[in-house]
Amino acid sequence: MTKIQEMPAVARGFISNLELNVPKHPAWTLPKPAGKRRVSIVSTAAISKRGDKPFSWLARDHRIINKSDRDLVMTHVAVEFDRSAWQQDLNVIFPIDRLNEMADDGEIGSVAEEHYSFMGAADPVTMEKSARQVASKMKIEGVDTVFLIPI
Amino acid sequence: MCGLAHYFEEEGLATVLVGFVREQIEKMVPPRALFLDFPMGRGMGKPNDPDFQKRVIRSAFELLDKKIGPVLKNFPEVIPVRRGRMGYALPPELVLTKSDVGDIARVLSDVTNEIEELRPAYDKAVACRGRTTVGASELSIESFVPFIGEFLSGHVPQSPRKGLPAIPLLKLVVEDLEAYYTETRTHRDGIDDLELMGKWFWEETKAGHLLLLLEAVSVASENKILLQIVEMSLMAPRFWSEGPLPGTSAAGW
Repeated sequence: MTKIQEMPAVARGFISNLELNVPKHPAWTLPKPAGKRRVSIVSTAAISKRGDKPFSWLARDHRIINKSDRDLVMTHVAVEFDRSAWQQDLNVIFPIDRLNEMADDGEIGSVAEEHYSFMGAADPVTMEKSARQVASKMKIEGVDTVFLIPI
Repeated sequence: MCGLAHYFEEEGLATVLVGFVREQIEKMVPPRALFLDFPMGRGMGKPNDPDFQKRVIRSAFELLDKKIGPVLKNFPEVIPVRRGRMGYALPPELVLTKSDVGDIARVLSDVTNEIEELRPAYDKAVACRGRTTVGASELSIESFVPFIGEFLSGHVPQSPRKGLPAIPLLKLVVEDLEAYYTETRTHRDGIDDLELMGKWFWEETKAGHLLLLLEAVSVASENKILLQIVEMSLMAPRFWSEGPLPGTSAAGW
């Protein structure tokens, strides 16, 4: 397991200096039974549909990715993570085909029509407004379960 | 990521996340989290391995069946990383300087030829996969080298893309150029090895050499944004290197 203290110097310094904001009383929502869950993916890989506005470097906003969208590009500001995997297979960071298969097999209830992407380099505190807008859209669509995947 | 989980949970949505830095997850205590001992950029583990990907998803979704939380679980399978780094990093000694630039026309021509040589294999990769990630910049592949060449010559050109200034566009062009190479090579040679791909592109190709020259010119530039990009390791991959780029203030760290 990679521990922060064992990371190379530059990365260690960066990660150690991140500010962390934890709610005093974290919320806990009771999930629905597996077969009734409607799942939406939230990615912080800064992926978006080709032609969408690129993410700015500290973007607070989000992009919507439809269930059928596969022609995606990435405008994440950071370059420290591997991009060769998602170049080979979108599902390695955005497992939309896997979720569709699981819905077909009854492992989950259904897959949302809309999924969401944020810029993972930005401070989550600055994304609160956008995250709550996303939550509203999800609830209108009947989503009850959010699968969060970083890059 | 953990912060977003708290917002969604407050909104009445049940969340489950996967993450790569366990200590970070422990501090942020999201309601349900699966720790992955994988390199970053590979949340579902392995490309083109649906069974592995589903094992990750199922393991994460099992946390939604827990009656109380927060819960944090380790995914049992490990994808090793090299020396504690979760992505490729340039060797710290591989640093070029402005004096290495030499004949710019020759440098650009070499990369243009290299791109052309790879073109049939790139086209096959795109046809086979049915998609490409190249194009975030919205510049044509033929435009990548001339655009980078402007910066190498020491001046910041007008951005050809409305609404996106030249320097943010440069970053996307650099990433598009790398994607063109790695998409080609992973498909042509059936390779899935992030260290090998990073080493090949950055240390062995003419395109990688061009970008290291661009880094050198940027370090020496009076343009603060260009300097900031290289200082913060946002152009060449030095985030996991043992120290910041020589000649920079390392202020970003």
